[in-house]
Amino acid sequence: MEPVTQPTTAAVGSMSKPPKSQSPWALARRKFLKNKIAMISLVFLITVTVLSIFAEPLTVPVEETAKINLTQMSKEPSAEHFFGTDKSGRDVFARTLHGGQTSLLLAFSITISVIIIGSIVGATAGFFGGWVDNALMRFTDFMMNFPFLLFVIVLKSIFLESSTATLIFVISVLSWTGTARLVRSKVMAEKENEYILSAISIGCSPFKTITKHLLPNVMSTIIVQATLTLAVMIVAETGLSFLGFGVPMNIPSWGNMLQEARSPDVLTSKWWIWIPPAAVLTGTILSINFIGEGFKDAFNPKSNR
Amino acid sequence: MLQYTIRRLIGMIPIIFLISVVVFSLAKLMPGDALSGKIDPLNSDPAYIEEMREKMGLNDPIHVQYVRWMSGVVKGDFGDSFVHKREVMELVGDRLPNTIILGVSALLITYCLAFLMGRFSGRYAYSMGDYLISGFNYLALAIPSFVAALVAIYIFSINLGWVPATGSIGSGVEPGTFEYFISKAKHTILPALVLGSLATASYTQFLRNDMIESSRKDYVRTARAKGTKESTIYNKHILRNSIIPIVTLLGFDIASIFGGAIITETIFTYPGIGYLFVESVNARDYSVMMAIAMMLTVLTLVGNLIADLLYGLVDPRIRLS
Repeated sequence: MEPVTQPTTAAVGSMSKPPKSQSPWALARRKFLKNKIAMISLVFLITVTVLSIFAEPLTVPVEETAKINLTQMSKEPSAEHFFGTDKSGRDVFARTLHGGQTSLLLAFSITISVIIIGSIVGATAGFFGGWVDNALMRFTDFMMNFPFLLFVIVLKSIFLESSTATLIFVISVLSWTGTARLVRSKVMAEKENEYILSAISIGCSPFKTITKHLLPNVMSTIIVQATLTLAVMIVAETGLSFLGFGVPMNIPSWGNMLQEARSPDVLTSKWWIWIPPAAVLTGTILSINFIGEGFKDAFNPKSNR
Repeated sequence: MLQYTIRRLIGMIPIIFLISVVVFSLAKLMPGDALSGKIDPLNSDPAYIEEMREKMGLNDPIHVQYVRWMSGVVKGDFGDSFVHKREVMELVGDRLPNTIILGVSALLITYCLAFLMGRFSGRYAYSMGDYLISGFNYLALAIPSFVAALVAIYIFSINLGWVPATGSIGSGVEPGTFEYFISKAKHTILPALVLGSLATASYTQFLRNDMIESSRKDYVRTARAKGTKESTIYNKHILRNSIIPIVTLLGFDIASIFGGAIITETIFTYPGIGYLFVESVNARDYSVMMAIAMMLTVLTLVGNLIADLLYGLVDPRIRLS
């Protein structure tokens, strides 16, 4: 037996420096960086975001975009106004960038609050189980019954002085349920593992067990969910603004800009007023969806694309 | 099954009660009240207004008002619309057929398109056509319905002039005639196409993935080994198994079609439930708004029940209990 085992030990010896195994995060990152569509989408999204953030130095201050300029009404695209001007003589290019700032900021804020509420409810229900789980999930089911758009409109019209903050609040209150259910099911599966049992048995408090041990391990699911939520929230905000129940009219947002296309005259003959926000909006949602798919793929150890 | 259905229906009663409380409180929280539309606008004498408030029961304690409203609702009476000056149920009954026609046409379009695309993608997976279809799916998922509606109106109504962009019926058309039917179809097709084709993505993907999965199963190998034609394998053996799960999505669609039509109906000024809802919120027509909110929420509940029942019907392994 000895001579047979020797080469094996030698082989092990020659690998004296075992390659450091990569963390799941590094693996996911590598896979994501190789995903061409996701990377192109990421570049696009970053470009749109950066342009929106620097809307003011790039174009005009936000107060200027609200000013009505009767001498510049409905001008076609020119060197002075890249995308032309709208019916009130406001520069469409400047409004698209400022609108992006509003729409993206809103969508990001709503997504963050939705994910926080959903994760807290889901993790609590999943971790404790029993009557806590029962009560929280019955409540979640109850909230799920309300048709989203309908109740956002109702809630929105309760607040007389409508601001973007109320919109964030109203949409968040009605849309955390899906995330809560998802996080709950993931936490329930994860907490069966031994490391959770050992964490509890060495005396970790429930709060510490959830935040330090459980949540990092369901983080990948939460990130994918957050990406998809972001896309949905951009649609929700612009759709509501389009109907007139979203961002106040004096603040430029993609939905508010598209609202102008509801007048047949603009839709028919002044394409430059509504095509730019429509195109940027669709492109942004498309790229967010691709990034979400990329994340999902990267975090899935079974996929080998 | 029957027992399960009955138990679920009984379980709905407390939920519907809670929903009615929420709807009623929200309506009460909204600014202004039902009075604004009912009194003589020229008479601003405070005594007169007070008298009218008293007469309509708006000075009663809130729970008395709730009980009054709810006892009407149970009997199917949602009160009167202040704007349209007629019974809410009559008004909703007028608009409901339009929404149903739109919803059913949209659903038909979704199913037909998704069936054709999913079948193709599932059979010729990873082919050029499959990639084109999944490209379309990504676009359909990303493009918001109101943007799609604007583009559709721009192309089909304005540039090509094929169909009208607004309304649900041409003016001066007699109901019951052939022209009436044609006019209705012409007005419905564009919003239905927008609603329907945007919803195909999930169905197509579902059918495609299920077909790919099935094609690796043993019974397919057996069929192949017996020398069955490839087209027969796909059309008879695989498709039959893959088409069934899709049926279960129908339950969720029932609610989403009525709720999701709000934006589409508003853009096309299509006089259905969704458009009526937006109108009534803007006009502070509370009784109409409450009726629609109640109806759609209950419809969501029923839709979920139907989805669960269909699951059990389709897959006998799922025991409903």
